[in-house]
Amino acid sequence: MVAQSGPTLGSGESQVPEAGPRARANRWTPWVFRIGSVGLVLVIWELYGRAQETTLFFVPVSSVLAALWGQLQSAEFWDAFGQTFIPFIWGWLLSLAVGIVLGLLIGRFNTFDALTKPYVTFLNALPVSTLVPIAVILFGIGYASRILVVFLFGVVEVTLNTAAGVRYVNKDLIEMGESFNASQPRLFRKVIFPASLPGIMAGVRIGTGRAVVGMVVVEILLVAVGMGRLILRYRGRFQSADLYAVVLALIIFGILLQVLARQIERRVSKWKHEMEQIA
Amino acid sequence: MIEIEGIGRRFNTRDGGSFEALKDVSFSVKDKEFFSIIGPSGCGKTTLLKMVAGLVKPTAGRIDIDGQTVIGPGEDRAMVFQQFVLLPWADILTNVGFGLELRGMSRKESREAAKPYLEQVGLTRFAEHYPHELSGGMQQRVGLARALAVGPDILLMDEPFGALDAQTRQLMQEDLMRLWEVEQTTVIFVTHSMDEAAYLSDRVLVMDTHPGRVREILDVPLPRPREESTRRSPVFNELTSHMWHELRGMMGDPTLPAPE
Ligand SMILES: Nc1ncnc2c1ncn2[C@@H]1O[C@H](COP(=O)(O)OP(=O)(O)OP(=O)(O)O)[C@@H](O)[C@H]1O
Ligand SMILES: [Mg+2]
Repeated sequence: MVAQSGPTLGSGESQVPEAGPRARANRWTPWVFRIGSVGLVLVIWELYGRAQETTLFFVPVSSVLAALWGQLQSAEFWDAFGQTFIPFIWGWLLSLAVGIVLGLLIGRFNTFDALTKPYVTFLNALPVSTLVPIAVILFGIGYASRILVVFLFGVVEVTLNTAAGVRYVNKDLIEMGESFNASQPRLFRKVIFPASLPGIMAGVRIGTGRAVVGMVVVEILLVAVGMGRLILRYRGRFQSADLYAVVLALIIFGILLQVLARQIERRVSKWKHEMEQIA
Repeated sequence: MIEIEGIGRRFNTRDGGSFEALKDVSFSVKDKEFFSIIGPSGCGKTTLLKMVAGLVKPTAGRIDIDGQTVIGPGEDRAMVFQQFVLLPWADILTNVGFGLELRGMSRKESREAAKPYLEQVGLTRFAEHYPHELSGGMQQRVGLARALAVGPDILLMDEPFGALDAQTRQLMQEDLMRLWEVEQTTVIFVTHSMDEAAYLSDRVLVMDTHPGRVREILDVPLPRPREESTRRSPVFNELTSHMWHELRGMMGDPTLPAPE
């Protein structure tokens, strides 16, 4: 077919080999910079660490990675990780579930919005960390207050973004649903919920980030169990490489969750794109 | 039979007052009748249609369907919208079945039940496409099929072809006539187009504005089935020029040229 196409298509074809590699180069360029940037910091970290007279305070990255490797082999680390991880998962899932339901109701019903506004504003206005001592007094330092803190950190963003997503739903879609005599629950399930998914997913992503912050705050402020306990112990014994390793593990865990949330959002935002083409 | 008795509707305005969109509107639509409503922009056509649909409540008067006063949407009615209003995230077959789904059928059953209606509007091979992949005319066929699929006694159409180009519009009118003759439903059809009203209808309600009210109800004595040649008959031309005369008077500009 190409051979028969003759000279008329020639100019068009000559553009194709150019467009391909250039588009690919553009796609990879940010990664070159990202990796380069991280690499540079790691090199400086390593060199600065080696230049220190003692590893009590500043540890080169190679020692931290070695300590992390060692930690990953130890049962104690995984015990501590579980003690941190399990309440986190509960608080996180709870914040998503409660936030989405609340957000749907707030976005749809003005009365509900008015009823809940004082609390949402209150939680949004203050650093949630200030509630940690109260959570401890009420629930002790066990799972309950850990779950509560993670939940409080995450829930507001999920709620607000979901509510915004619902308000953004095309009114015509809702009217269409009503015109077919749909019951209110069915209207929610079949129209409002799917149409609000872009907002809900933004809430899930941002809320996940906040919940991870909540988890870290719990580790720092409630140090009796979990990874926080390891941090406290290694700090007390000046096992700095291990201290760094545990902190690094928390950070990596937080980043992984962010990546996961972003992937889910990206998949769902395909719908958003299609919706915008219609609207 | 649809009886509209002394319907009025006021809306609250931002300055705290109220605005009378419709006043003392009365008429009735017979079973299986094709009834069009035409009138200047803002005269309350959409509001009136939504009141029949049960989506907007009248502030005066009432609407009875077969002796039952309308208090909300019902399974006897289905609506077709000017902007099509399809689900962008669902394929065409799901969209056609969506009215049934909203009434409690499962996704699987409703898709199955939608198939004959998709075929009726000639889109079977687009069953698994998405709305944004279809032209405006095709999207409105989906909107029409979705309404027909719930088997309504009354089809409410608000400028369904208003967003389409002239040629597509004419084709859609012909298809609608063909479908309506098979489906035998009552139709209330809101339009801005005098040709469309004359070509499709048994009767045409011409509305006056500020506030919206009945100006006159015209009989359309054109034989059925309506055909291409219908548009060239003297009766057709007489009707459209009469409507134009009425509407031009309402728009307050007697110097506007008549359409050819
Ligand atoms: N929810 C509402 N609140 C306030 N005013 C409204 C509302 N709905 C309609 N109106 C007003 O009522 C009048 C009639 O509106 P409607 O949409 O029924 O007119 P229409 O005849 O369908 O117009 P068009 O031909 O432009 O579609 C307009 O002046 C409109 O501004
Ligand atoms: Mg209108």
